[in-house]
Amino acid sequence: MITLYLKTWWDHWRTLFAWSLTLILLVSIQMSIYPSIRENSAALQGFLDSYPEAIRKIFRMQDYTSGPGFLSTELYSMMVPLVLIAVGATWGASATAEEEDEGTADVLLTLPISRTRILLSKMAATMTVVVALSFLAVANILILKNPVEMELDSGKLLAATLSSISIGIFFTGVAFLVGAFSRHKGSAIGAVTGFALIAFLIYSLSALVDDFDPITPYNPMEWGLGGQPLFNGVDTAGNLKLLIGGAVFLVLAIIKFNRKDISTP
Amino acid sequence: MTSHIAVSLNKLTKNYGTTRGITEVSFDVRHGEVMGFLGPNGAGKTTAIRTLLGLIKATSGNATILGVNALVPNVELRRKIGYLPGIAATYDRFTARGYLNCIARMRKLNLERVIEQYADRLDLELDDHIHDLSKGNRQKVSVIQAFMHSPEVFFLDEPTSGLDPLVQREFEVMLDEARDRGAAVILSSHVLSEIEHLADRIAIIDKGRIVVVDEISSLKAKARRKIELFFDKPVNQRDFLKVPNIKEIEAMDGTLTCVVTGSENELLRRAVELGVNQVRTEESSLEEIFLGLVGAP
Repeated sequence: MITLYLKTWWDHWRTLFAWSLTLILLVSIQMSIYPSIRENSAALQGFLDSYPEAIRKIFRMQDYTSGPGFLSTELYSMMVPLVLIAVGATWGASATAEEEDEGTADVLLTLPISRTRILLSKMAATMTVVVALSFLAVANILILKNPVEMELDSGKLLAATLSSISIGIFFTGVAFLVGAFSRHKGSAIGAVTGFALIAFLIYSLSALVDDFDPITPYNPMEWGLGGQPLFNGVDTAGNLKLLIGGAVFLVLAIIKFNRKDISTP
Repeated sequence: MTSHIAVSLNKLTKNYGTTRGITEVSFDVRHGEVMGFLGPNGAGKTTAIRTLLGLIKATSGNATILGVNALVPNVELRRKIGYLPGIAATYDRFTARGYLNCIARMRKLNLERVIEQYADRLDLELDDHIHDLSKGNRQKVSVIQAFMHSPEVFFLDEPTSGLDPLVQREFEVMLDEARDRGAAVILSSHVLSEIEHLADRIAIIDKGRIVVVDEISSLKAKARRKIELFFDKPVNQRDFLKVPNIKEIEAMDGTLTCVVTGSENELLRRAVELGVNQVRTEESSLEEIFLGLVGAP
């Protein structure tokens, strides 16, 4: 099992390296511009207040010039969750679909390892990377917090991180399930990222468009982001919905994969 | 006798709906036996093997490997199986050594020395990345993958494709060693000449159904053979009309030609009565038998 776990990391180490670097750059650049935001907060706040209300609602620009407001708008409302979704979708969707796509599933699935254990190993590797990348962002923020004189409650940063991880795990579950049904890595990744982007779009527009109100309670992005954890702390209900949803998808993926006729390229 | 049977398929059926799968495929493979599994491309060889291995679920029928139900996932059984897929894909980013060690570790075995020994025998450079290897060398990696843990049952789907003749010889030696230690082997091919000298028996599949399962010598005996009989005096084909197993009789002067299927005893007895002094038999090749059975032109 550990071999397969490590192999999953090895399969993706290039993309993992690229995503880690992307995340570090993203966080570092945002943190480095924060002092100019803080120093010009009065002017900037006036400028932002002149934005149409629609824009402020879409980007949830609540108290933009404060530490939590800035991080929430610039990182935790979109960029960090999207990086985690991208990684979860890629690893999850390719876990089985790529092995089938490339024809390597035939040997793997005739080794003395059950299909359930194979998926669990790959799921564990994917979860680890989602959690690791989240804490990479946290570490980066905590290191740069004092130099840029950002006031930030570490507990609430962890709450936002927990929400991001929950979103990542939810979409990892979706990705494994889609991958278990699909025979092609590309279409599986496309389906999962498409779903995530639509959910995100609906979440963003729901502040403006009343027609989305009936969907909002079922929107996973709302579960993860709607609670504004950087301001309000841990959103237990939202996180639980995401984690339980993710777990259900993972279990369904295992059931489907165990019944699947494995295709050849 | 049944205890000698290593693999048994009983009316194994895989129905794909619109596309053809396999229909009621039945045959046994004994310990120490190489069963040639022969059929044209798309006949159902790979489907039958992959159904036996649980990669695709059987629609009906049953199958056992080493006395255990093969259609129910069984991790312990898989330890004893060596499988070389028809499309022998490997993890291309690994070196050959890295890939084989990875597979060995997933089998919870340390086979580093065995892998090196096989690589020496097949002349494979283990430290090259698989994506840099030629098709033949990739096939060697897959052959080692199937052999390295000394399985009791082998499923080899077109194993010699891409191997050069020298390596094929070494592969045959490896196959003999496996047979000698009692392993059962199912070896598929669409080219009969390739497995003619490797297999003890042959199962021929066409359009998803088994056409014949037999020993090669017996298949040859049952085959159509053209026989020419030479007499000192002119013969008449009417003299042979009542002889069984022959057709397409033609007589010209002192020569009679005909086609025999099965025993030629009666024909020879009649010919001796009429004073035959020379007999010439044109053996039909196994390839012709094969083509005759699967109805190809």
